[in-house]
Amino acid sequence: MARVIVPVGPQHPALKEPVNFRIIAEGETIVGLELDVSYNHRGIEKAAEQRDFTRVVPLLERICGICSHSHGTAFVKGIEEIMAIAVPPRAEYIRTIIAELERIHSHLLWLGVAAHEIGWNTLFMWTWRDREAVQDILEEISGNRVNYGMNIVGGVRRDITPELNKAALDRLPALEAQIAGYVELLKKQETVLLRFQGVGRLTREQALTYGTVGPTARSSGVEYDIRRDDPYCAYAEVPWDVVTDTHGDVYGKTIVRIGELRESVRIVRYCLEHLPEGDITVKAPRNAPTGHALSRYEAPRGELSHYIRTNGTDKADRLDVRTPTLANWTSVAASLVNQNLADIPVIIAAIDPCLSCTSRLTVLNPQRTSSTEMTWEDLRRRARELNRERERC
Amino acid sequence: MENHAGVGTGDGGNRMTTIQEVQQAFTTGSDAACIVRNRVEAAVPPARIRGEVARARKDFGFDHLIQISVTDLGATFQLIYHLTGPHRIVLSLAVDVPREKPEAPSMHDIHPPAGIYERQIHDLMGVVFTGHPNLKRIILNEDWPQNEFPLRKDWKPEPDRYYGGVREVL
Repeated sequence: MARVIVPVGPQHPALKEPVNFRIIAEGETIVGLELDVSYNHRGIEKAAEQRDFTRVVPLLERICGICSHSHGTAFVKGIEEIMAIAVPPRAEYIRTIIAELERIHSHLLWLGVAAHEIGWNTLFMWTWRDREAVQDILEEISGNRVNYGMNIVGGVRRDITPELNKAALDRLPALEAQIAGYVELLKKQETVLLRFQGVGRLTREQALTYGTVGPTARSSGVEYDIRRDDPYCAYAEVPWDVVTDTHGDVYGKTIVRIGELRESVRIVRYCLEHLPEGDITVKAPRNAPTGHALSRYEAPRGELSHYIRTNGTDKADRLDVRTPTLANWTSVAASLVNQNLADIPVIIAAIDPCLSCTSRLTVLNPQRTSSTEMTWEDLRRRARELNRERERC
Repeated sequence: MENHAGVGTGDGGNRMTTIQEVQQAFTTGSDAACIVRNRVEAAVPPARIRGEVARARKDFGFDHLIQISVTDLGATFQLIYHLTGPHRIVLSLAVDVPREKPEAPSMHDIHPPAGIYERQIHDLMGVVFTGHPNLKRIILNEDWPQNEFPLRKDWKPEPDRYYGGVREVL
């Protein structure tokens, strides 16, 4: 049969990322894939060499809107390793709490997107509704829904007060109940079983050969989790389990992510209940000595690594970032082979390539200098008014 | 940890490779300082790097390439191959390639993800990986000028040169 090249992206309704795939297909079957990720390169590694350690952290948080805490933490813990400073335990626990909340919101977001890709938007609505509980906790603690700005070299910038602690703990049982619901749902919901099972399968050998990381590797039975293998923050002190599965397909990746949701809630609860007393920062020196560090971090999408080299100044000489998505791309090419064209969106989405996240709605009036935040009630009222106006026309 | 096809864990059964064994095999003499926690660092001459990465995989179970980091050190570019495996030891093999002839052997056949990492390094730092089947542009836009490598320390954008993308109309 004649080979056809199907271009997908960089702008495509089924992809939420500016990436271009040239899919080589024979009929409806995929036989190969070429990839171009150049559409959104922002030169952050170069820009990071120009900023001192205080100013570079907010920049690195913006590498990714979803795993912003991951990039910030990976960098500051690398710099702290070079400076040989010990972060107070309370700061390590707070970093862990934010990291796991970030994982919960990221996995819930992913579950919604995966459901959307198979045309089951009801689940998308449910998971994104539940994700709001996590976003609320993050907003209460950090003041932001994304780009939390918690990290600084030497600790964290905001404390978790007893009131915030209680508010966060109070939100967890409802979230846990919803997650338990998804576990049951996944076992018997027909749409999910039909579209996830056997799709984009990666064997254990393939997962190892193609260097996969994170839930993509763990769903193929590769027990590989930086939180356990190279412990950082408070993970060595917290009881939790690495979640793995042996399906290797989109279904397996879903099982792993839902399992990790439960583990993350467990870690967050433990850390909130056992939050050590004390300072949240130590004073870090302005300059870092000459040195280098490989800082590894288990981001929601898998192992993130920052190679940092310093030269005795207050700026990094080199920051080399390897994101989990880059590590997983090679396996996507392998898992797409012999699959159906219609399964492209869900197989690509299965590794959870980074997506962007929006902030809350702010109404700006150019005549005034101040801005007004809209509350949920305002927003509903405004929607009702708009609908009425439209119906009258 | 069970063994898997084609890759030895270097344990000859059930015993795990220890960090001392890795240190003895890859570092020379008085490099005791090269161990930090679970990390072992070693410098390797360019001619031997392919053999060393292959040996680490075959005999010591380093089956996962974490990252190939690259730094512009002035006279040389330093490539570091960060490897790990079921024993969770991280082995960092550093190789310096000369600036005037920035060439290193490709590892795409030993560690498939190296293919994409090498394309990235080639694009941004201008290191040529010999034996790479498809060393095409991946990170920079297609109309980026040839022979301009933005991560090199001596790179400065020319004010009147076109670097691709949308042309600004003044």
